[in-house]
Amino acid sequence: MSSEAIIALENVTFTYEGDVVALRDLNLTVRRGDFVVVLGANGAGKSTLCYLISGIVPHIYGGRRGGVVSVAGLDPWDEPLYVTAQHSGVLMQDPEVQLFMPTLKAELAFGPANLGVPRDEILRRSRAALALVRLEELEERNPRDLSGGQKQRAALASVLTMQPQLLILDEPTSQLDPLGRQEIGEAIEQLKRAGDLAIVMTTHETEEILPLADQVLVLERGETVLQGSPEEVFSQADRLGEVGVKTPALIRIQHDLLWPGKGKANHPTRTKVNLTTSEVAGQIQASVASGRLSIIRPEVPLSPPPVPPEAPLILEVHNLTIEYPGPPLVKALKDVSLQIRQGEFVGIIGQNGSGKSTLVKCFVGLVQPRTGDILFRGQSIHKLSVGEMARRVGLVLQNPDYQLFTASCRDEIRFGLRNVGASLEESERLSEEALRLVGLEAEADLFPFRLSFGDRRKLAVAATIALSPEVLILDEPTTAQDHRGRYQLAELSKQFHGDRQGTVLMITHDVDLIARYAHRLIVLHEGRVLLDGPTGEVFSQVEELKKSFVVPPVAMQLARELAHLGVPAQVLTLEDFYQVCVPKQVTRKAG
Amino acid sequence: MQPIFRYSQLDTPIHRLHPLVKLAYVILTLVLVMYPIRTSDMPVLLVWLSLSAVLWALGRIELRRFATLLKILLGTFTFLILIQGFTYRFGHTPLIVFGHLRLWEADLGVLTKEGVWFGIVLSVRVLVATSSLPLFVMTTSASAIMTAMGKLRVPHVATFMFVSALSFTTLLFEMWGSIVEAQKLRAFDIDRMNFIKRAVKAYVPIITPLILLLFRKANDFQIAMETKGFGAPIEPTEIEMLTSRPADYLWLAFIVSVFVLCTILKYA
Repeated sequence: MSSEAIIALENVTFTYEGDVVALRDLNLTVRRGDFVVVLGANGAGKSTLCYLISGIVPHIYGGRRGGVVSVAGLDPWDEPLYVTAQHSGVLMQDPEVQLFMPTLKAELAFGPANLGVPRDEILRRSRAALALVRLEELEERNPRDLSGGQKQRAALASVLTMQPQLLILDEPTSQLDPLGRQEIGEAIEQLKRAGDLAIVMTTHETEEILPLADQVLVLERGETVLQGSPEEVFSQADRLGEVGVKTPALIRIQHDLLWPGKGKANHPTRTKVNLTTSEVAGQIQASVASGRLSIIRPEVPLSPPPVPPEAPLILEVHNLTIEYPGPPLVKALKDVSLQIRQGEFVGIIGQNGSGKSTLVKCFVGLVQPRTGDILFRGQSIHKLSVGEMARRVGLVLQNPDYQLFTASCRDEIRFGLRNVGASLEESERLSEEALRLVGLEAEADLFPFRLSFGDRRKLAVAATIALSPEVLILDEPTTAQDHRGRYQLAELSKQFHGDRQGTVLMITHDVDLIARYAHRLIVLHEGRVLLDGPTGEVFSQVEELKKSFVVPPVAMQLARELAHLGVPAQVLTLEDFYQVCVPKQVTRKAG
Repeated sequence: MQPIFRYSQLDTPIHRLHPLVKLAYVILTLVLVMYPIRTSDMPVLLVWLSLSAVLWALGRIELRRFATLLKILLGTFTFLILIQGFTYRFGHTPLIVFGHLRLWEADLGVLTKEGVWFGIVLSVRVLVATSSLPLFVMTTSASAIMTAMGKLRVPHVATFMFVSALSFTTLLFEMWGSIVEAQKLRAFDIDRMNFIKRAVKAYVPIITPLILLLFRKANDFQIAMETKGFGAPIEPTEIEMLTSRPADYLWLAFIVSVFVLCTILKYA
């Protein structure tokens, strides 16, 4: 491996137009073959760093820069973008905007063709890139017809045909389902193993990518808070938590249980990032055997009690079949029947395209079934107007930007209230309440698009909750959200569920999050209900879950490995695990 | 929601046809509809429309797409027929008399048979004009369009703008559908509003987020293109090799013959 520096940043500061400082005093050296993972909450400066080293800043987004930037020996500030593009390739979050040609073949040829690379060489590069992302069979397909994971792999291949020395991946998996994440992860792993490229990747998904990293950079408000090897950085689990970065569950368990007390400090020499569940289970078993850990019976039941069967039914679907006209014709739901009771907190998981969004859109009347009935409190929803529906079932869509249009956050909430005929006083009261609930009362008069993405999502939730629906549905609230933002939205749903005795349905790919909040889980697969039951029971059906590429939460996997020590099967979350597996010192104190 | 005139990837004689032949068909169509129009031109228009129908059928374009085209044009047809029905200056056979209001040579209170017929002829002319470009777009891949335009010495940037606009249309339709859905969730149902209400206030909650999103997507789109060398002062490599087959020459001869026939029919 050569030691040639592909990226050299020295004391780099960057300020966007409007005096928003995005990066401060940043130093980074990346060599050929290096894989650098950049972590941080939304707004930490990760994307700005990507823009800076790819030349997008200043050629597309303007601003002021201080310090020295060198990428492949060039300063992107001084070179036209097409020159920088010959050295560094960028893969962004949203594959939809990166694919614009009619066939995959044309998409892959687009970049090198712009640079006048000979046709035969372009075709050779295209074949190699397609083989790497395993899309050889699809080169004549329209990229828009591919699945989410395939689209992102296609976008990656289209970057690789430029033969960059530096590959910049800006949250490439944040909009993908577990299979898509796995597919992209495998492609990146291959690139890393080949060692020809320097790779910089920003992400919130620490578990999957850390074992590949050579260096980790953690940013907060544009400043470096931690930098070093993955072991060094993740030995500071508490510091990471403070800046909104998730520590992988297995490392967290090691720090909290196996190295208690000292766990809050550094363990760089002992911290390992490619841990397996069996490895940690073995360490816990040894600690129990040596008396440093105890397994105790929890005093309170771990799982929340299920909603009693006598609770009234609030939503029902019977023999629901939904088809989207083609070509090709898509059967989104196939003869689905299920019931939701008042007061339930239901998680809905499954691959992209499994019918999750279609199902929840049926609940609010956005999608009309070809066959089947949809009932709200026993009444067909077709008899309800959109206004009546909005006051019964509220759906928060994935992207809040599809609904925001007013001049202030307050007006945004009042818009829905006005549509359902709320009086001025009622509208004022409910909008203030909703803003308070989501913690945006200080931003009430702000233009919604000036909020961060996470806050815009909260505003969308507030606009829905203000209509006082009995059921709140969140469609993938965790997509493109950092660790902290995910839990803020989940907590809001929990408040709606607890304080307002509402019913909540949440679609997500985050199994740890759903295990913590939902007491019932529905798994959809290819338009049918694959599993439906209490969350713990559903997660215990490991083989069935594999069909949907769903892996149970880490705490549950660990509990199963330690079942012979008396760890109960209903352990779903880290908090559950900490209730049953405790350091000896703590048990003595408790005693 | 998909744009109705999106390229459909099929293997039909029309899809295989050289893009320049299809472009010739589009240009001849436009020339034909530019001819000065008379009420007696209906056979000419019907002959060319028959050619278009043959091409649509051979291109295996679904009927629903043609039905959508008709639906889009229905308002225009109604407008043309009514306006001509009441204002055609050579109209002398009354169909319905509402009263008499003379304005130059026309009586605006009378719907005339000749006026209605002229309105129908104009409507068919509009249909002829508008059916050619969708056929071209639906049966020709964007890369083939780009290569064909390159052969015609159209600047690469201009061609790419046209092609990427086609691609952006898909995104536009998807965004429009998603915004309408998002506003329905807040009890704002544009689909159930009458025409006047829509025109007066309904589009603000739809158009505003659409424009804001379009700006953002256009920015992302620009990043994706420029980081792949778009705009480099280098002659781009042509990937698609367009070769002419005997069938292309036969089709070109056939289309030109029909055009000559139409011209003769019109001026004979």
